[in-house]
Amino acid sequence: MNKHILLVDDEVTIRELLAQYLTRTGYRITAVGTAQEAEKVFASDPPALVITDLQLEESDGLVMIERMKAKLPNTPVILLTGVLFDPEVIESTISKKVSAYFQKTTPLAQIVKEIRRLIG
Amino acid sequence: MPDRFLRRILAFFLLISVILIAVAVNAVRNISRTVATSDWVNHTHEAILEGQALHASLHMGDAALRTYLLIGEARDQAAAREAFAEMLEHLEVLRALLKDDAAASPEIAELAKLTTVRSEFATSLMQRRGAPGETPASLVAADIASGSTAEITRRLDRIKSQQMTLLAERDTASYLQAQTTRWTVWAGVILDFLLLAGVAWLIKDDLEARRRVVKTLESANRDLDAKVRERTAELVASNDQLSIENLERRWANQALEHQHRYDELIINSINDLVLVLTKVLNISRLNPAVFERTGFSASELINKPLASLVELAEDPGASRVAHALRTGHELRATGRVQCKSGGARPVKVAVYPLRDGDKVVGGVVTLELLTDDRNRTTGTTAP
Repeated sequence: MNKHILLVDDEVTIRELLAQYLTRTGYRITAVGTAQEAEKVFASDPPALVITDLQLEESDGLVMIERMKAKLPNTPVILLTGVLFDPEVIESTISKKVSAYFQKTTPLAQIVKEIRRLIG
Repeated sequence: MPDRFLRRILAFFLLISVILIAVAVNAVRNISRTVATSDWVNHTHEAILEGQALHASLHMGDAALRTYLLIGEARDQAAAREAFAEMLEHLEVLRALLKDDAAASPEIAELAKLTTVRSEFATSLMQRRGAPGETPASLVAADIASGSTAEITRRLDRIKSQQMTLLAERDTASYLQAQTTRWTVWAGVILDFLLLAGVAWLIKDDLEARRRVVKTLESANRDLDAKVRERTAELVASNDQLSIENLERRWANQALEHQHRYDELIINSINDLVLVLTKVLNISRLNPAVFERTGFSASELINKPLASLVELAEDPGASRVAHALRTGHELRATGRVQCKSGGARPVKVAVYPLRDGDKVVGGVVTLELLTDDRNRTTGTTAP
């Protein structure tokens, strides 16, 4: 059975493109636009991996990640955002909360490579 | 190929038919000849038998004549006359049988003379019996002395010999003809058999060729199928690759668009007035705060000199700004910004060189209003 990935982004285009690409590479994708929807999916159909944006409508990706980690601490999380962080910030803050951090300009193949590394 | 093959087969069968017809015609002709020969042989045998009957009649006549001459019985006289008459009848039949035989004609003519003479002499002897001076012994002696019977016998033997010779010749010819017929028939049969064998070989060869063609076609079809499958797989893979590349391109485009939009959002969210300058100090871009604070729209300021909007303290020509961009240094100063309503407002001015790699391509100017009216707008709305 294909591994389940939960994709959280408030931009429809990004959600659709990423879901399409990951589906082609053999994953089962659930794509949602808000943190509330994501937490519902997380509870009903626990994913093997979560990909989330930082800035979500009515919430913050990092806050949502903390809540998810409280339930399933071993689920890997990839932060995919347009916000550019300094390497120092990534090392000191972001890397402790997520398994990987990617800018939205990162090629899809590289994102998939990281997903494969994390969940196979 | 099929046309050529059919033509060959038809040619073979035509040849076989011609040979069969030739053999049949030859056989029928030889049968007719054999029938004719058989008729001739029967005819010749009849002539020989007729000659023998003539000879027998002659001897019967001679015997009856001499008996009559010796004894004088009328019965013997009548028997002699009847025998000689039969002899003449046999002669006529023999003449009729051999009328087409040129070689026998002289013999028949001579035989006719001899039998006539013999018959007449016999008649004269019978008349002379009982005549004065004639004794039976003298008459028999005269008859024996005539020698005609011996001559007739020789002629008959000669005719028989001729006919037997002809029979032998005909027999040889008939044998040769039969042999020729046998050879013709056997040669035709063997030739037809060989031709049929040739046809069989041609058909076998054609069938093998067809089987080879079928195998070649099957092999070619298999190769073609394999190539089609391979090409289809390549096309599917290529299509997948193109789809992935297409997704990658769309992803890259949206990422750039997203980043651009995000940057714009940041700049537009700044409350201070932000202006972008070219190297000749013309305004090339501004944020919405400029309109909100001064009332000038973008179309009124773009491509206009910075000095038309901002006047630096003690530097009305903005030569310090020009110098800062030339040297690539930041500049901080105070000045006044013009408002569309007619007044001017004091501002803190900061000039930052805009670098593209190692070159300064322009500058960014921020204006911080010094009066406490940050939330006050000009009463206009954004264009």
